[in-house]
Parts: sequence; C-alpha cells; structure tokens
Amino acid sequence: MPRRYLLVKVLYGLALTDQQFHEALTTSVRTHFGDIGFSRIDPRIIRFDQSTSTSIVSCERSAVRELESALALITDYGGTSVAVIVLAVSGTIKGLRKRKAR
Amino acid sequence: MAQTLRTAGYSTIGLTIPTGLLPERVKSMRKTFENHGVATALRIDLGSASRTELLRSLRRFRNAYDVVGVKCVNARVATVASRDRRVDVVFFDPVMQNVRFNHSLARLLHGAFEVNLIGSLLTLTDIGILFRLRRAIAVAQEHKVKVVLSSGARNAEMVRAPLQLSAIASTLGLSETASVAGVSSIPLSIIAENVKKRKPECVEEGVKIIVPSRR
Repeated sequence: MPRRYLLVKVLYGLALTDQQFHEALTTSVRTHFGDIGFSRIDPRIIRFDQSTSTSIVSCERSAVRELESALALITDYGGTSVAVIVLAVSGTIKGLRKRKAR
Repeated sequence: MAQTLRTAGYSTIGLTIPTGLLPERVKSMRKTFENHGVATALRIDLGSASRTELLRSLRRFRNAYDVVGVKCVNARVATVASRDRRVDVVFFDPVMQNVRFNHSLARLLHGAFEVNLIGSLLTLTDIGILFRLRRAIAVAQEHKVKVVLSSGARNAEMVRAPLQLSAIASTLGLSETASVAGVSSIPLSIIAENVKKRKPECVEEGVKIIVPSRR
C-alpha cells in the first residue's frame, strides 16, 4: 500500500527519546481513533533525531489527515507538556530530506 | 512564540489584544512577530453579555481593529452578532451548553463561524465537546457558512501547524476544501477586506472617495 512520510518536530519540555516519542504517538492515535483506526493509520517512526528533536513518521496514504490530527493532539508526556508540529508531508523520504535541508 | 509560529509555517496571525493596552505595547508586540517574519492583524474578541452592550462595543471598536470577533455567551447576543455586518467572526465557548451554533444562526450569519480547535481540545477532556464541535461543523457545512479554524493559542505550547488544524477539522467532519480554506483563504480575505475598509478614503461599504489625479 502507498505510504506518506511526515517530517515532524517535537517542541518543549524534555528532549524525548525515540521510545518515548513512539509511546506518545501510539497513545494519541489509540485514544483518538481506537484500535481499528490505529491499524488503518499504521503509524511507523522511520527516524528520530534526538539532537534536533525531529522525526520522520510514516502512515497509510489515505490516513495522513488522521495522523496529522493525532500528532496535533499530543499534549504531554509524563507530566511534561509537549507540542508536535508537522513541518512537511511527502510521498518519499528523499523528498522530506530535501525539505529538511532547505 | 513568534519563532514557533514561524516554524509551524504561519505567515499571518490574528493577535488578540485587550482593549486597554497601550499603543506602544501593541506596536512592540507586533514588531516582535514581524521580526520573525510573521505578519499580524489586530483582533478584538467581544464578550458582551447583552445586545446593547455589544452594539456599543461594536460602535467603539470596529474601526480600531482589523478583525472583530464576538463570543456568543447567550442566544440574544448570538443573534445580534450573526446579523451584524460589522462582526467578522462569531464563536462559541464549547463548555457552555445553553447556547450553540444552530440552523437559525447559520441562516442569519453574515460573517464567518470560528472554531477554536486546539483551545477546546487540548485544555478540556470532555467527550461532549467533541460532539458539540461535530454538530456545529455539520450545521455550518449544511448552510455553506464560512468556517475559520483557529488554534486559540495563548502560549507557544498550544501552537500547531495550519495543516494540523485543518486535519483535525477534517476528522470532525468538515470537507477537505473547506478545512484548508479555513486556515488560509478565508481568514486572509477577512483581513484584506477590513484593511481596505479601514483606509481613510473608504466611506462605507461600496462608497469610496476618489481624488482626481493632478496633471
């Protein structure tokens, strides 16, 4: 199935590790869209750069809007407030890297 | 916050300021945002409790601000605000259950209906808010009302990218086109229209002073 790749930036609070970000993302998707929604969106973390707090997350092409909203609704992790901003959406990882470099 | 807004991809924001704020303070706030490449439009939110109070506030503040929003705290205020041409956006507190955006208000509405997404969804964890937002969006869609999506961010932690706001609205039932327009073309057109109206040569809607060119 075709996928979409999102370049996201995690702001504020603690510098999250990739496991913590994965947990926050999974919890948000499950809370707002349920288990069936989770399987439809199928979010995967491709890369997580802790030094810049940026990540590349992929999902099913048809569910990109759901993933964007689930990322927007991440508010805190372990009591510390967190904001996740989607910087760019692309059909390829190469496309995202180009935008990141820009 | 200005830096976060720039990172999130905003080019223009509506800066809600209290009425009594000194002009120098407003100027310095706008400069801070403009230094980060984010243009600002001055906005006032009127939370009048009665019809007369709202009309008085509109007379007083309309020409001083780029965008006038009215928080509808009761049905009477909601009716007047929806009907009045000077009001750009009307919005409702999702916590208040006594007044909500309904079909009769949608039919009267001259301006746009604003949905404060992040402010509603992040700070409150009541499932009823989701129901009310969905219902209001469905009514707006049915009557082809212009919907403006705002974050209602009061601090940098509440800032989300415009695409994320439109994605939330899409998942709440707003069409893809309307949700993208709600964070781009509709708010920009409201600002552009009001900037034009606030120019000294503009007398009223459709009436403008034209100075003959000197040759």
